[in-house]
Amino acid sequence: MTIFQAIKRLLPYAVVLILSACSDGVVVDSGNNTNPSNGDNTNPISGEGGTPNTPTAPVDNPSTPAPSVDPDSGPETPAQAPQTSDFSTGALDAADVEAARFLTQATFGPTPETIAEFRRYGSIDAWIDWQMSVPVSTTKDYTQEFSNGSLRSPRHHGWWNNVMDEDDQLRQRMAFALSQLFVISDVDYALGNAQYGVTDYYDMLARGAFGNFRALLEEVTLHPAMGVYLSMVRNEKANPAENIRPDENYAREVMQLFTLGLFELNMRGEMIPAGNPKPTYTQTDVSEFARVFTGWNYPNVRSWTDNNITSAAYEGRMVANENFHDNGAKNLLNGAVSPAGLSAKQDLDAALDNLFQHNNVPPFVAKHLIQRFVTSNPTPEYVERVARIFVNNGAGERGDLSAVIRAVLTDEEARTGHLTLTNFGKLKEPVMRWSQLWRSLSATPGPSANGIHATANHPTDQFDSMTGQAVMRSKSVFNFYLPDNPLVAGSQLLSPEMQIMSEANLAATHNNWHHQIYRFNNRADLNDDNPRVTIINLEPLTEIARNRNALLDWYNLHLYAGGMPTEMRRTLFDFARSYPTSNQGRFELVQDTLFVVLTTPQIQWQR
Amino acid sequence: MAALIMAKPNFQNQRRKLLKQLAAVPLGAGVSMLSGNDALAMGCDGNAKSLVCLFMAGGADSFNMFVPGGAQSYSDYLNSRGEIAIGESNLLNVSDANQGAFGFNALLPAFKNLYDQDRLAVVSNVGTLIRPTSQSDYLAEQALPESLFAHNTQQKLWQTGAGIVSGTSSFGWGGAITEHAATCNGPSAITPAFSIAGSSAWLDSASSQYISLNADFAVQRMQGLDNISDWIPPQRLSRVGNTIEDLIAQGEASGNAAMLRTISNGLDRATVATASLHAALRRNPLNQMQYNSRNKLAKQLHLVARLIASREELGMSRQVFFVLMGGFDTHSDQPEREPVLMREVNEAVSAYQDTIDDIGAADSVTTFTASDFGRTLTSNGNGTDHGWGGHNFVFGNAVDGGRIIGDMPSYASRNNPDDAGEEDGTFAGRIIPKLSVNQYGATLSRWMGVDEAAISQALPDLKNFAQQDLGFMKS
Repeated sequence: MTIFQAIKRLLPYAVVLILSACSDGVVVDSGNNTNPSNGDNTNPISGEGGTPNTPTAPVDNPSTPAPSVDPDSGPETPAQAPQTSDFSTGALDAADVEAARFLTQATFGPTPETIAEFRRYGSIDAWIDWQMSVPVSTTKDYTQEFSNGSLRSPRHHGWWNNVMDEDDQLRQRMAFALSQLFVISDVDYALGNAQYGVTDYYDMLARGAFGNFRALLEEVTLHPAMGVYLSMVRNEKANPAENIRPDENYAREVMQLFTLGLFELNMRGEMIPAGNPKPTYTQTDVSEFARVFTGWNYPNVRSWTDNNITSAAYEGRMVANENFHDNGAKNLLNGAVSPAGLSAKQDLDAALDNLFQHNNVPPFVAKHLIQRFVTSNPTPEYVERVARIFVNNGAGERGDLSAVIRAVLTDEEARTGHLTLTNFGKLKEPVMRWSQLWRSLSATPGPSANGIHATANHPTDQFDSMTGQAVMRSKSVFNFYLPDNPLVAGSQLLSPEMQIMSEANLAATHNNWHHQIYRFNNRADLNDDNPRVTIINLEPLTEIARNRNALLDWYNLHLYAGGMPTEMRRTLFDFARSYPTSNQGRFELVQDTLFVVLTTPQIQWQR
Repeated sequence: MAALIMAKPNFQNQRRKLLKQLAAVPLGAGVSMLSGNDALAMGCDGNAKSLVCLFMAGGADSFNMFVPGGAQSYSDYLNSRGEIAIGESNLLNVSDANQGAFGFNALLPAFKNLYDQDRLAVVSNVGTLIRPTSQSDYLAEQALPESLFAHNTQQKLWQTGAGIVSGTSSFGWGGAITEHAATCNGPSAITPAFSIAGSSAWLDSASSQYISLNADFAVQRMQGLDNISDWIPPQRLSRVGNTIEDLIAQGEASGNAAMLRTISNGLDRATVATASLHAALRRNPLNQMQYNSRNKLAKQLHLVARLIASREELGMSRQVFFVLMGGFDTHSDQPEREPVLMREVNEAVSAYQDTIDDIGAADSVTTFTASDFGRTLTSNGNGTDHGWGGHNFVFGNAVDGGRIIGDMPSYASRNNPDDAGEEDGTFAGRIIPKLSVNQYGATLSRWMGVDEAAISQALPDLKNFAQQDLGFMKS
């Protein structure tokens, strides 16, 4: 440490000591009603301006910008409110709060604009109607433009651009939720070089997000990316002479993870019979379904074993080759039989119908969507209400996902659970935490980023190495987390997301917030640093920060959906006292409060 | 819904406790705080010990890692496995005094060398069992573990030692070892249990937490706390840090709000763990451990080795670790995928054990493998499916190695008495385990000094097996 650095480090203490001995200095904590007598540029803590009669004024503190340059300086008008307001628990408009709460559940984060937009629609139903009419935004076209098919980052860039900027927010939330049900991942080697296939799969989920579950299940089953991921592609009928059986991979996971779960459920999503639940299927059932899923090959290849698998092999759906299909009779679930002599497609239809009609599917899908959008521990009644809509959308249709997601979001429990249920809510998914900040502050890609978003410490395609989550980057078909992950070991309360809240991930995320706020903001010198990192614009908040309560209200509405605890607000209010009211002082106030607000545990609990 | 959280110790203000403790106890001051006799009575013999679980996620095809060598057995093996089998020229020959000739996969020379040095034991055909289970028991569905052949359930049963997922046995047997370890250790700010691979049911415990670290990054201090920041000017820094700590403490004190309290505890643990570990780890880079930087398992084991090298400094006489390597679910393209997996495991184990030897810790570090299940002996053409029993490996100087523990299963494709086959009698090649995870875990727990009562509690089905200790650890 140089002497200069040592002096620099000691300076703040010297300043405090000098100030406390200096009767006409400005105290660090101005209190509720202390109006700085010298107007705006008075607090020497910032190193900006300072009262001429304190010895600290000439100090050039290199850690803050040069003194006299105040971006919106000029004469400070008397209209400017100094930070003297009394503590208040806030003055949020109830309808704004309702909008923000809903948009936190249903979009990638509320913004001032989307809150106003929601209010223009006037009701959740009207907003959902609008959302379902918005054109689908896609990722494959972007990926085809920027990836050779193996380069993995472009699909993340395209996806983040969509969730940041596009209007089809509910559809994208739904696609992301469905990608956590019908899981594929390119972490493993199998899909790493199939980026067009992977994005085609995701866009398929987005297009099918408000369609019928049965139709989507079939598309998922026959998509070549799923065919590769769970090795149904080129699955052959048995060859007993060589002890070769059909591959059981897709047969098992389509039942365990995509439709039924391990145990029989009632409509409330409870395992039955209570205390000794009945498995939904046996190993024999897995073997039978494995025989169903035989005889499917990539489209656009020359032969069953053609090794030249190009991106064309991911265009369209898998195609049947009856020579490799086991056309014997198969026992399906609940006593159904797929008779001998059926084609691969007829067998597949019979099996998917058999699964689709199973009593587990309505509560299983209902609970998955409730957990992704609203709460980790829904009441059985909530699950049942949504499951009944799955069974019948009101017009006699089973599996209408548009009706199901509407039921999830409009349910009384979704709307008022935070007022009535102690353990209502969920930990926010890491991706949502980031999109929420960026969207609310209209973050823009860095000046040399070619329109690509990136966090300070991790590009978006490595977001999972920081948080355990990135789109289609789970470590296995079991998603980023299990739906029944206990909140803590031994607890009956569930929290899927807690499974990835490791100490390492929490610390890495914390440090990334730090760099985002202090380094990659609109006033940083972006050219001498990393000009590819996404920039947050703190100027609007710097304006709002003329009034501390207004600033806290802004955080509360956009980042806490109106749920910031009063005790926390008081802590923040007191914390915010010691900043000068100059433009630079307010900017620093915004930086420090925003950092604190983002790194609290409270922000992670979505209610 | 009523709050159903079990009683947990109070984690509030860990940071403040940490600061007090670190002020009171100089770093590295005595590994055990217990006096000699007390320590021995509690299974804390004063010598440091670290136990490492290497979990091969997805269900490792261990039947291709360690292969029968006798003429009849190898021919049965070839016949059952077809194109999935490892050719004779791709085996490294070893022998067992009682069971004859065997071969390690030629891509696992590190395992073979450790075996030859009597530092590695093969624990044959071990898996989830509630009690000794025969083929007729299987067909009659008598006392079978829950959801056989399902990845997540079988992982959980392996790691908790339970036969069913729900119920009272939702904690891991590694967690029970951690609880014991904590009683041996001096005052430490953090628990002596580490996962380098995210969440681990093995380390779950009713009364202690584990720390989950990421091997891809250095343990970073959390910016803004403890007056550390690259960017916040010093005159603002301490108030920022104090406010963050205050708000975490508010979250920890949030009464019935279990979700908020839990994430607050997690953040608190993160601040304490990163503050405690980063300096020790920086002092123990162990750069002598060389491996391909793309080898994720090696990275994890490198961090384990560094934490072992730091154990005195951290006041940890006992440590427990969980590392995990994925990709073993080889339903397809196994002939291409398996060699990649074998090379990665071999390189990681080789570099890691060399480093443990190098720092003089080989006597006190035992590493064992585990996996969801073994795979089918039969193939589906170019891959294998979910099985049950499989071979596992234990190594370190404390292992009584160079031998096979337990009887090898039959590899026959006809009339195989060990097959959990189809209802119509078709051979499936899913091998019923002979040894239980409970026996495996009890043997390792005992080496770590866990007392019998705690072992029985953590491994509740141990009582159903005559042999309570598999004898692969030197006493």
